[in-house]
Amino acid sequence: MKRTRLIAPVAGLVVFFGVWEAFVRVFDIRPFVLARPSRIVRYLAKFPDDYFNAALLTLRHAALGFAFAIAAAVFIGAAMAASTFLEQATQPVLTLIAVTPFAAYIASVRVGFGFLSERPVIFIVALVALPAFTFAAVDGMRGADPASRELLASVDASPWEVLWHLRLPSALPALFTAAKYNTGLALVVAYLAEGPTGGLGKIGARAVANNEGDRLWAAIFAMAILGTISLVLLNLLQRAVMGWHASQRTQRV
Amino acid sequence: MTAAVTLRGVHKSFGTLEAIAGIDLDIEQGSFVSVIGPSGCGKSTLLRVVAGLEAPSSGDVRVYDEPATIARRHKQVAIVPQNPGLLPWRSVRANARLLVEINSSANRSTTSDPIELLDRVGLTAFLDAKPYELSGGMQQRVALVRALSLGAPLLAMDEPLAALDEITRSEMRGLINQLVEGRGVTTLFVTHSINEAVALSDRVLVTSPRPARIVGDIKIDLARPRRGDVDDDSRFFELCSEVRHALHGGHGGEG
Repeated sequence: MKRTRLIAPVAGLVVFFGVWEAFVRVFDIRPFVLARPSRIVRYLAKFPDDYFNAALLTLRHAALGFAFAIAAAVFIGAAMAASTFLEQATQPVLTLIAVTPFAAYIASVRVGFGFLSERPVIFIVALVALPAFTFAAVDGMRGADPASRELLASVDASPWEVLWHLRLPSALPALFTAAKYNTGLALVVAYLAEGPTGGLGKIGARAVANNEGDRLWAAIFAMAILGTISLVLLNLLQRAVMGWHASQRTQRV
Repeated sequence: MTAAVTLRGVHKSFGTLEAIAGIDLDIEQGSFVSVIGPSGCGKSTLLRVVAGLEAPSSGDVRVYDEPATIARRHKQVAIVPQNPGLLPWRSVRANARLLVEINSSANRSTTSDPIELLDRVGLTAFLDAKPYELSGGMQQRVALVRALSLGAPLLAMDEPLAALDEITRSEMRGLINQLVEGRGVTTLFVTHSINEAVALSDRVLVTSPRPARIVGDIKIDLARPRRGDVDDDSRFFELCSEVRHALHGGHGGEG
C-alpha cells in the first residue's frame, strides 16, 4: 500500500525534471539563467562536503531562529491570551513585523550585530517567524476547551499549570500549522541573510557575484532538498507528538 | 445534623440577568442531594457557586465551614462536568490523575488510587488508551474516577449523564451509587432527569424557572445500598411523581 502511494509523487518529480532537462537542452539556455538537473547533480557530486557543510550551517541558522521565535511566541501568546489589552497592544506591532520586507533591513541588522557573525541571521529568522507563531499560539490557547479550563480552576490550578497542562497542548495543532508555513520562510530568510556569514546563502551570493551558474543552481538545489527534508522531519514530529489529534488519525485510515 | 454545605440568602446575577433569587440551604454531610429544575433555570450556576467557581452577588456560601472560594483552594470540591472535559493528549490513566497532579501541594490525605478506581469502573484494559478511543459512557466513567481520586469531601456533578444514551445512563446510575455509597462524601448532583434524581439521591431539591428558587424539597427514603433494579420499586414511582408534581406545580409560589 505504501509503494502505491509513492508512485504518483515520484512520477510527478520524474516528469518535472525530465521536462526541465529537455527544455534547457532544446532552447540551449545558459547555465546562469537555468542549469540542467543533470549538470547540477554532477556539480554537487564534485563538491559534496562543501555543500553538505553549508547546508548544515544554513539549517542551524534557520532552526535556531525558529526555536527562538517559538519560545517568544508562546510567552507573548500566553500574555496576549490572558489579557485583551495586551493583545490589542501587541497585534499592530506583530502586523508591522509581518508586512515589512525583511530584505530591506537585513543590512542594518548585520551592521548592528556584527557583519560576519551568525547572530544577525538568527535574529532576522526569529523576527520574521514570530508573527505567524504568535497568532497561532494566541488562537490555540484561546480555543482551549472551556470544560477543561473550569476543571483546572476547580482545583485552583496556577496560571503556569493552566499554560503547561492545557493551553500549550491546545495550541499545538495551530503551532504546527504555523511551523509548516514558517519552515520555508525561515530557510529563505536564512539564505538571504547569511550572504557574508556562511552557509548555502554565502555560496549563492558568491556565485551570483562571480556569474557562476552551476555553483548558484547547486546551492538552489541544495536549498530545495534542505527544505523538503525539514518538512518531512516536521511531519514526522507532528505525528509523534500529536497522535491524539484528529488531523493525525485520518491520514492513517 | 452536620452541614457540609450551607447557603444563606444567596443571590446571583449576571448583569441584569438574575440567575439565582435567594437560596437558603443546608446539605447534610455524606448525603446525596440532587437539584432538578427546568433547563436554563440557574441550577448549573448554583453548582458553580457551591464549587467556588463563581462568587455569589450577595449572600454566604460555606463548604465544610470555609467560604466556597477558600474550599476550592483547599481542593475540597471535586467536579464532574457535563462534557467530560478529558484532555485528548492524555491517556486514560493520566486523565484520571489530573486533578491530583494539579496544585498538588493542596492535596488531601484522602486521595485514592485512580488505577484501582479505573478497575472498579471496568477500564483496566484501557489505561493507556486516549479519550478518542473511548465511548461517551467510558469517557464519563474516567471523569468520575478523576473526581473520586481527588478524595474531596464534596462531589459536584453537573448533569454528568445528560449526553449519554438511555442504556448507558442506567448503567452509570448503578455505577455512581456503587462508587459513592459508603465513601462518606457529600454529593451535589444537578440533573433534569426525574428518574435519575430519585434513583441516586437521599434528597431532591426542585427549583423554579429562572431565577432559581427552591420550590420543592423531597426526601428519598429508598433503602441503601441501592441495586440496579431500584426503579422497579413501587415507592420509586411514588417519589418520581412527587418530584414531577413539585416541578410542574412549583411555577408560581414557594413549594
